[in-house]
Amino acid sequence: MPTSDHYVIIGNGPAGNAAAFTLRENDPDARITIISHENISFYAKPKLVRYLAGDIDKSALMVKEPDAYLQNNIRLRLGQTVMRIDLQNRCLHLAHMETVQYTRLVIASGSRARLLPSMKPYADCLTFVTEYNDIKGMREKIAAGKHFFVFGGDLVAFKFLKMLTHMKKQVTLLLYPKAFWPHTLTHAMQKTIVDNLARTGAHILVNDDLDTIVPEEQGGYNVTTQQGVKKQADLVFTFNGLIPNVDFARGCGLDIDHGILVDETMRTCLENVFACGSCAQIYNPDLTAYTTSIGWPNAVAQGKVAGLNLAGETCRVQQAGRKYFDLEGVKIKTTWWEDADREDTEGEDTDREGNDRKDADFKNTERKDVECKDTDRDRKTGEKDGR
Amino acid sequence: MKTNGLYSKEEKIFQDKNKLYQAHSVKQIAYSTDPRDFGQVAKSIPCQEACPARTNIPGYIRCINEKRYGRAYELNRGANIMPGVLGRICSRPCETACRHGAPDNGVSVGICHLKRACADLKSPMHRIIEGLYAPSGKSVAVVGSGPAGLAAAHDLAILGHRAVVFETMEKPGGMLMYGIPEFRLPRDLLMTEINNILRLGVELKTGQAVGTHITLETLTREFDAVVVAAGCTKPRLLGVEGEDLENVYNGLDFMKQINKLIGDKLIGDRPQLINRINSGQSPIDRQINRGLSPIKKINWGLSPIKNVAVIGGGFTAVDCARSAIRLGAEQVTLYIRKTMDDMRIDETEKHEARFEGIGVESLVQPARILGENGRVSGIEFVRTRIETTEKPPYKKSVPIAGSEFVVPCDSVIAALGQAPDAHDVSDALTGLDKDSPATGMKGVFAAGDFVTGSTDVISAIAGGRRTALAVDLYLTAMERKKTVVRLESHATTDRPRSYDFIDRVPMNTIAMDQRLADHTREVETGFDPDQALAESRRCYLCSLKYEIDPLRCIYCSACIDVAPKDCIKMVETIPVNADGTYGRYVETGQWDRVVSITIDNEACIRCGQCYEVCPMDCISVTKTELIQMDMDE
Ligand SMILES: Cc1cc2nc3c(=O)[nH]c(=O)nc-3n(C[C@H](O)[C@H](O)[C@H](O)COP(=O)(O)OP(=O)(O)OC[C@H]3O[C@@H](n4cnc5c(N)ncnc54)[C@H](O)[C@@H]3O)c2cc1C
Ligand code: SF4
Ligand code: SF4
Repeated sequence: MPTSDHYVIIGNGPAGNAAAFTLRENDPDARITIISHENISFYAKPKLVRYLAGDIDKSALMVKEPDAYLQNNIRLRLGQTVMRIDLQNRCLHLAHMETVQYTRLVIASGSRARLLPSMKPYADCLTFVTEYNDIKGMREKIAAGKHFFVFGGDLVAFKFLKMLTHMKKQVTLLLYPKAFWPHTLTHAMQKTIVDNLARTGAHILVNDDLDTIVPEEQGGYNVTTQQGVKKQADLVFTFNGLIPNVDFARGCGLDIDHGILVDETMRTCLENVFACGSCAQIYNPDLTAYTTSIGWPNAVAQGKVAGLNLAGETCRVQQAGRKYFDLEGVKIKTTWWEDADREDTEGEDTDREGNDRKDADFKNTERKDVECKDTDRDRKTGEKDGR
Repeated sequence: MKTNGLYSKEEKIFQDKNKLYQAHSVKQIAYSTDPRDFGQVAKSIPCQEACPARTNIPGYIRCINEKRYGRAYELNRGANIMPGVLGRICSRPCETACRHGAPDNGVSVGICHLKRACADLKSPMHRIIEGLYAPSGKSVAVVGSGPAGLAAAHDLAILGHRAVVFETMEKPGGMLMYGIPEFRLPRDLLMTEINNILRLGVELKTGQAVGTHITLETLTREFDAVVVAAGCTKPRLLGVEGEDLENVYNGLDFMKQINKLIGDKLIGDRPQLINRINSGQSPIDRQINRGLSPIKKINWGLSPIKNVAVIGGGFTAVDCARSAIRLGAEQVTLYIRKTMDDMRIDETEKHEARFEGIGVESLVQPARILGENGRVSGIEFVRTRIETTEKPPYKKSVPIAGSEFVVPCDSVIAALGQAPDAHDVSDALTGLDKDSPATGMKGVFAAGDFVTGSTDVISAIAGGRRTALAVDLYLTAMERKKTVVRLESHATTDRPRSYDFIDRVPMNTIAMDQRLADHTREVETGFDPDQALAESRRCYLCSLKYEIDPLRCIYCSACIDVAPKDCIKMVETIPVNADGTYGRYVETGQWDRVVSITIDNEACIRCGQCYEVCPMDCISVTKTELIQMDMDE
C-alpha cells in the first residue's frame, strides 16, 4: 500500500486504539493519525467511577501513555475536535478551523450520555460521568460534598451509588425504570434492585420524576420531584445509558440511524470509511436486531476488524451472543455489556498488577473475535500481494 | 435568557453609533431586474430561497427586533397568507437552509417560532392590509378549502375575481382542520386566519363534494375558470396480510375522525373522548370514509387503544402517535423503514414525541399483521438495511432475510402517506403536471398536493398562489405583477458580533399532565416579548449584502485578517452562468493574478468586522429584498 495514504482515526477509545495498533501491526509504514477531543491519552472509562471516588489515581486510569504512540509511529492529536466530515473532498474539519485530509477514515467516536427529554431544561445543572473531561475537578467536589442526587439507574449509576455510600455520603437515587436502556425494568426487577440498593443506606425514590432543579447561589442545587420530595444536593448526577456520539457526522452523507450503519467488515456505505465501537450500528443476525455495540470488548473486536480491513484484508467481525450479567440481583441478558471493571470491584489488588492489567483487556481480545474468509480476500488480493 | 432586556456595553456603543448613522444617512433606493441581482439574492438569503412562498424572513425578523410585530405579521402575510398557522405547524424548510445552522455557525434561527411570535404579539386591534384590484367581472370556482385552495381564492379575490370555494367537509381548512391535531393548531386561530381570507368576498360552500354533489363539468360551465385543489386522500397501503383486520386504521382517517369529534364538540377532554370512542357513540361520517380508505371500518366502538403500532415516520404518523397517547394508549411506537435521520419531521416534533413517551423503531418494515378473532394481536416485522442506488431515490430500504420478529399490539395505524385521486373529482380530469398549474381540461387548473403529491402546508400555499396568477393570466391575458430586487443603501451593519453567540431560545411548552388532562390544549405556548427579542437578535440579517469597492480597495488585506470565516476571497475571475447569474468565484493565492478582493455573501455572516477595520471605508452594505411590483408601476 502506498505510504502516502493517510489513515485517520477519530476517537481514542478502545475501538480507535484497536484499529490503529492492528493496522500498525499489519502495515509498518502506514501513516496513522488518531484525533481525539479529550486532552488525555487512552484511559479506561469503566474505571472513571472509581477514580471519581478517589479509589484509584490517574495513573491507574491510563491504558496507554503517549510514549506508546511515539514508539509505534502513530500520531496522536489530543484536544482536537472534529466538527464535520467532508466525504467528497476526503477531509475533516476541526474546531480550530484546520482541515485534515484522509485516504481512509475510521470513526470510533464512542458514545455520550443519554439525556432524557424531561431533563433537557436542566442540562446545565447535571453532572455526567461519560468521559474524563466531564469529571475534571469533580473528585475534590465529591470529597468535600455531603449530599448527592443521582438520576437514572444504569449499571454505572448503581456502582457509583455504592461508592458514594461507602464514602459515607448521603445519596438519593431516583430510579428510572427505562434508564437501563435498551432494557426496561419490570416491576419485579425493580423491586429486587430497590431492595438490594436500599441496604447501602441510600434513599431510593421510585415512580417519581424530576420536577425542577434550582441552582443555589452559594453552590449546590435544590431538587424537587413531581411527588413533592425536596432534596438539597452538592452535585446532581445523571446515568441514563449511552447513545452513539455521531452528531458531528450527521448530514455528511453516511447512513446514520442511532449510530453509523456498518456491515460486518465495519465498512459504512462508503468503501474508504469505517466505523467501529460504540458509535457504530450493526445488524446482528443471531439476535435479528441492530445493536450499537456499547461495551469495551465489542469495541476492541470491531476496532481490530476495522484495522485489518484497513490493512487490505477482508475480515468480518464475529458478533457477540447474549450474555447474562447481574444487575443488583437481577439477571439481565445483553450483548453489549460486560463489567470490564469487575475484578477491581471484587477487591483485586490492582496496584500490584498495574500496567499489565491496563493492557489486558486490549490484548486478551485475540483473533478469535475475527473471522477471516479466504474467499472474501480475492477482491483485495492485488493490494495484499503488493504489500 | 442571557440577553433579556439588558444591553451590554458593546451593544450600547453599537446602538449609539447606529443612531448617529441613521441621522446622517440618506436612503438610496434602486429597483433591479438584472439576473445577477436575482442570483445574488437567492444565494445570499438561503432561508428565503428555501421558503416555497419566498417569505422575506430577515425583513420580518428585523421588524420583530424593533418590536414592530404588526409589520412583521404583514410582511409574512404578504407572502404566506396564514402566519399564525404556519408559525405553529410549518415544516420549516427555511430553518434547514438557515446560514446560522451551517457547519461551524451554530444552530439555525428559530424562524418559525418568530413567525408565531409576531402573530401572537401583534396588537389585538391589528389592521390587515390588502391592495385590492378593480373587479374583473370574472368568476373562479375553487375545489377544496385546504391551504392551496384558500391561497388561490385569496389571491384571485385580490386580483378582482369572484372566488367561490367548494368544500366536501363541514368546515374549511382541509388538513389544517381535519388532519393536524388541535394540540398543535388551535382552531379559533385557524378560523381567524381563514376568515381574513373570506372577508375579501370569497364565498365558501361547505358540504359540497365536487364529483358527488356537483360535477366538475358543471363548474366549468358556470365559472370562467376552475382551480382544483382537492389534496391527497387516497392512502398508501401497507400491502401485507392482515391489513383488513379490525383495529387497523389508516392514519389520515384516524386523525380526521378525532378532529371531527373534537370539532363537533362531542368531546372536550380525554376521559370523555375515550368514552365516546369506546361506547361507539361517535357518528361515523360517511364523507370521511367515502372510498378514501381500504380499511373502511373505522369503528370507534372497538376495544380501547392500549398498545399502538404506528407505521410511518412523517407528520401524520407522529400526529397519530401523539393523539393515541391522548386517547389513553399506554404504549405507542412508531415503526419506520429507514433510519432515524430519514424521518421527515423536524427536531422539535421529534423531541415532543419522545417527551410524550413515544418510541421509535427504525430500519423495520411490516411483513404481516397478526390477528385473533378478527382483531389485531401483533405485527410481524422484518428488519431492513439501507442500500445505495445509482438513481433516485438513491437510498432504499431492503428487507434482511431471516430477520423476522413479532411485536404484540392491539391497534395498528398505517400512516404511509397518501396520493391524489383525480377520478374522485372527475374522470375527465387528466394532464396533471406537478410543474404546471394548467391541466388537460381547458379553463381547469390545479394546485397544491392534488397536483404535486403530498408535500406540506407552505408548498401548498405557494402552489395555490402560483396557480392564481396563472388563472389571472388566462382570464385577463395580462401579466399584472413582476418580481424585482429592491436595493437600499444601508449605512450600518445593524448588529454587533455578540449576537452571534446567543443560544437559540427554546419554545415554551405545557407539562405532560396538562397535555393529558386537556386533549386539545395547545402544547407550545409561544414566546414572550423578551424571548422574541433574544431570538430575533440571532438572525444574521442575510439580506444585507456586503461589498468591497474594487476602485477604492488598496489590497491591505486588513479585512481578511479579521474575518471570522472564509468569507473574503482573493478572486481571479467571477464566471457568469448561462442564466445571467454569477457562478462560483475562481480564487487564487497569487497576488499577481488577483483581480479583486471580494466578499463571498454565501459565507459571510454579516458580522461587520471587515466593515469596521477597512482603512479606506470601501466596504458598503446594501439591503437587498425581493418585492412584487405592479407591471404598470
Ligand atoms: C462510566 C462508564 C463506565 C463503563 N463501564 C463499562 C463496563 O464496566 N464494561 C463495559 O464493557 N463497558 C463499560 N463502559 C463502556 C465502555 O467504556 C465503552 O463501551 C467504550 O469506551 C466504547 O469504546 P469506543 O472506542 O467506541 O468509544 P470511547 O471510549 O467513548 O472513545 C471515544 C473517543 O472519541 C473521541 N471523540 C469523540 N468525538 C470526537 C470528535 N468529534 N473529534 C475528536 N474526537 C472525538 C473521544 O475523545 C474519545 O477519545 C463504561 C462507560 C462509562 C462511561
Ligand atoms: S440568519 Fe437570518 S437571514 Fe440568514 S438564513 Fe438564517 S434566518 Fe435567514
Ligand atoms: S461581515 Fe465581513 S468579516 Fe464578517 S463575515 Fe461578512 S465578510 Fe466576513
